[in-house]
Amino acid sequence: MNALGRHRKLTAIWASEPGFKGWFSTVNHTDLGRMFLATAFFFFFIGGLLAMLIRAQLATPHSAFAGPDIYNQIFTMHGTIMMFLFAIPTFEGLAVYLLPKMLGTRDLAFPRLTAYGFWCYAFGGSMMLVSMVFGIAPDGGWFMYPPLSGAIHSPGINTDFWLIGITFVEISAIAAAVEITVSILKYRAPGMSLDKMPIFAWYALITALMILTGFPPLILGSILLEVERAFGFPFFQAELGGDSLLWQHLFWLFGHPEVYIIFLPAAGVISTVLPVMCRTPLLGYGWIVAAALALAFLSFGLWVHHMFTTGIPHMGLAFFSAASTLVAVPTGMQIFAWIGTMWKGRPELHLPMLHLLGFFFTFVIGGLTGVMVAVVPFDWQAHDTAFITAHLHYVLFGGFVFPIFAGIYYWMPHFTGRKRFFYLGEFAFALVFIGFHVTFLAMHWVGLLGQRRRISTYAPEDGWTAINLISSVGSFVLAIGIAMILIDVFLHALTASRGRRNPWRAGTLEWAMITPAPAYNFASLPHVTDRNPLTIEPDLAVQLAKGEGYLGTPRNTWRETLTVEVASGKPDMHVIYPANTRLPILMSAVTGIFFLSLLLKFYWTVPVAVVGVAILAWKWVWSIGRQDDMDTVPVGQDIHLPNFAMTDRPPGWWGSVFLLTANATLFGSLLFGFAFLWTVAPGWPPPDWFPPSVSALALGIIGAGLGPIAMRYATQKNRNGGTPLASLALTLAGAVLVAVACAAMMVHTPAPTRHAYAATLFVLGSYGLFHAALGILMVCFLIARVRCGFTSSARRAEFPIVRLWIDYLSVVSVLILVVAHLPGLMG
Amino acid sequence: MRDIIRILIAPLVWLATFSAIYGLHGLLCGHGINGTAFGLPIERVLLGAAFLFAILLQTALLFALYHPSLAASSEFSRFVSRATGWVGLVATLWSLSPVVLTTYCV
Repeated sequence: MNALGRHRKLTAIWASEPGFKGWFSTVNHTDLGRMFLATAFFFFFIGGLLAMLIRAQLATPHSAFAGPDIYNQIFTMHGTIMMFLFAIPTFEGLAVYLLPKMLGTRDLAFPRLTAYGFWCYAFGGSMMLVSMVFGIAPDGGWFMYPPLSGAIHSPGINTDFWLIGITFVEISAIAAAVEITVSILKYRAPGMSLDKMPIFAWYALITALMILTGFPPLILGSILLEVERAFGFPFFQAELGGDSLLWQHLFWLFGHPEVYIIFLPAAGVISTVLPVMCRTPLLGYGWIVAAALALAFLSFGLWVHHMFTTGIPHMGLAFFSAASTLVAVPTGMQIFAWIGTMWKGRPELHLPMLHLLGFFFTFVIGGLTGVMVAVVPFDWQAHDTAFITAHLHYVLFGGFVFPIFAGIYYWMPHFTGRKRFFYLGEFAFALVFIGFHVTFLAMHWVGLLGQRRRISTYAPEDGWTAINLISSVGSFVLAIGIAMILIDVFLHALTASRGRRNPWRAGTLEWAMITPAPAYNFASLPHVTDRNPLTIEPDLAVQLAKGEGYLGTPRNTWRETLTVEVASGKPDMHVIYPANTRLPILMSAVTGIFFLSLLLKFYWTVPVAVVGVAILAWKWVWSIGRQDDMDTVPVGQDIHLPNFAMTDRPPGWWGSVFLLTANATLFGSLLFGFAFLWTVAPGWPPPDWFPPSVSALALGIIGAGLGPIAMRYATQKNRNGGTPLASLALTLAGAVLVAVACAAMMVHTPAPTRHAYAATLFVLGSYGLFHAALGILMVCFLIARVRCGFTSSARRAEFPIVRLWIDYLSVVSVLILVVAHLPGLMG
Repeated sequence: MRDIIRILIAPLVWLATFSAIYGLHGLLCGHGINGTAFGLPIERVLLGAAFLFAILLQTALLFALYHPSLAASSEFSRFVSRATGWVGLVATLWSLSPVVLTTYCV
């Protein structure tokens, strides 16, 4: 088969449906990456318009441009859109588009999950926009502090839009994070050991792990606040044993790592683009990886620095102040590595490089003001002033927007296959750079003069008029610059002439393909021997197109790829991907009905949506796997690999591990919340305690013990060629016992509306019951699969996945039951 | 996967001990536990002991990451895991130093 024939055959196998219809059924990462990026930039445009409205309002004192009610919605939606609907999805889009190409594979680990994540994001984001159109957008600030956001002070639907819409959108973030983590760890080109991974992949991996552990506290907080608003469970009401500070802890447990979740992918772009612009390898690859890891971990120890003025004891403040100053060290290491790279190389001032220089100048200032506000006495002075607004914009615009613009211009020839000819971008950069600094330097100044954040107006005698006007003029210059960038990108995409492959002479694998990228990425998969494969093998693209790599001969209509061992990069599994399907969009629509039902208080449709999601999930998983054993598959280079259905660690197992990591973080946050309220909140002890029951506790613990033991026995029995049905029935019985114990706990909990203690116990019981129901569903599924011949002693992959979930159920249910029963039993 | 664990273990332990000591501080102050031991307030003794334990744990981890039988086999993983091992130790010493430097429940 020649290269053209291979291209045609692979395109027929991998391509999305042609035309408009293809958008709804595509599971291809290239299409979905573009869709993510286009949607994210649409939201960026909306968020930018809102920023203009804010600056129009503040340009003059006593402005009548917008009343306080509308102004509250404007600044809340500006922050919400930029953080949740632009920054994170832009990372997701870039990672979804680039990672398989950089890692030398054909798609991400779970293509349908990518599509499901995208549609959850699109539907959730649209829900938020609709609220704005009807004038009922969230108005409590992007951090939604109670008691302001509680039902008493914000009785309308505005806050519900935020809580429910953001939770919907965060499904997308969690889905993408699982997807990215598994893809980077397992879906790489053979030979790509950890030290040969492109630096962007390291940053994406770290960011994805941060999303998995950083987002669940906010999801939990949103659930608790919505339950408080809808059903009166007083988690955040001090007079009923709750505490509004619990929200701040949960929010900032997410919110501070969020800053680094935004910065680290941008740092990945810098570490990728800068060495190419400087014609030299990246200086200190290992140091940069270690620094990024350090930054990720330290960022989880900083959340209280957003709460320095809440009356926390000095030692608590000092812990977080010290940790906050410490993050400057790994950040500084990365900055110095980049400066060293520039020093070592020969920087060429192409447009991406201009944006990188814009990043350096802006981000370093933002970092320095960050160290200032890490110092408690200074923070007490600057807290909730425009100084903080200016600081965060220096960090986020400097640390994210400039590098992303650099990345967009760098990869634009890859997205479109065209070369720039219309040099609007250079002029636009100048406007953006000048406009940004005029806007936000002025804002630092007016903040130090005492202007509070989020105020809708001020008086002439405050003395802030001239500075605010300067800031507003700067912001309009900035907006014109960004509009010009968007026009430049459109002109490029629509009118530029065809460019050559790898115009930057970069060394990473994404350039070893025709551009725009074909649906299958690589006609055959490379064997990687260096971190910059194209630098040592400039004609690699041609070799791969000729089918000289792995999986160079298309088979049947299979969408094939292979996976590797995590550390060594040695091939270990053969994978066949699912084809195009509308299942993801359908499932996200049904998920949307669930959230919409909660929002509109149509509670009778909630169970319908839940059952709908369960049916679709069943259908989703049912389509994977085979009813006959398969020999090892030749993948080229004389290597034969087992199909993933015939392994103990299939991709689904890896996905479950990381999904459960996020789940465990949510559960841990719930336990933290319970301990926090018990220890710190006023209004304790509660009026009624949970009545403990030795029999209920014993029943639950027996069920929790029975499930994992029987599941292990079922796995072993299947592996030895026996029938595992009896053991699976015992596993099912174990899960049912846990469900009964958790349901009994919920029934016997004192009225959850009377005190936060009972409310938290009720939520803990619900969590246990939900996971027991999930366990029951999974075991029933496995029984059905066994009966329909989808498993054998060789085809064993589904057993370890179910076992993982049953083990998790066992651990959490024991903890839940002990937390509820033990205090009473101990008297 | 073991290499990934070697790389993550020290910062993870820092995060756990940092959170635990912050939680212990909250418990001691929230429940008004007081008394003396070794001539020092019991709060200071407990927090100091926890701090010392955290330092010893990080030192042991760092020692393990340098030990030939426990260190990663690939040079890159060895380097990164040792670097993050130092991060864990330094972060413990610095971020938890307020245990011995500031007042505890004021």
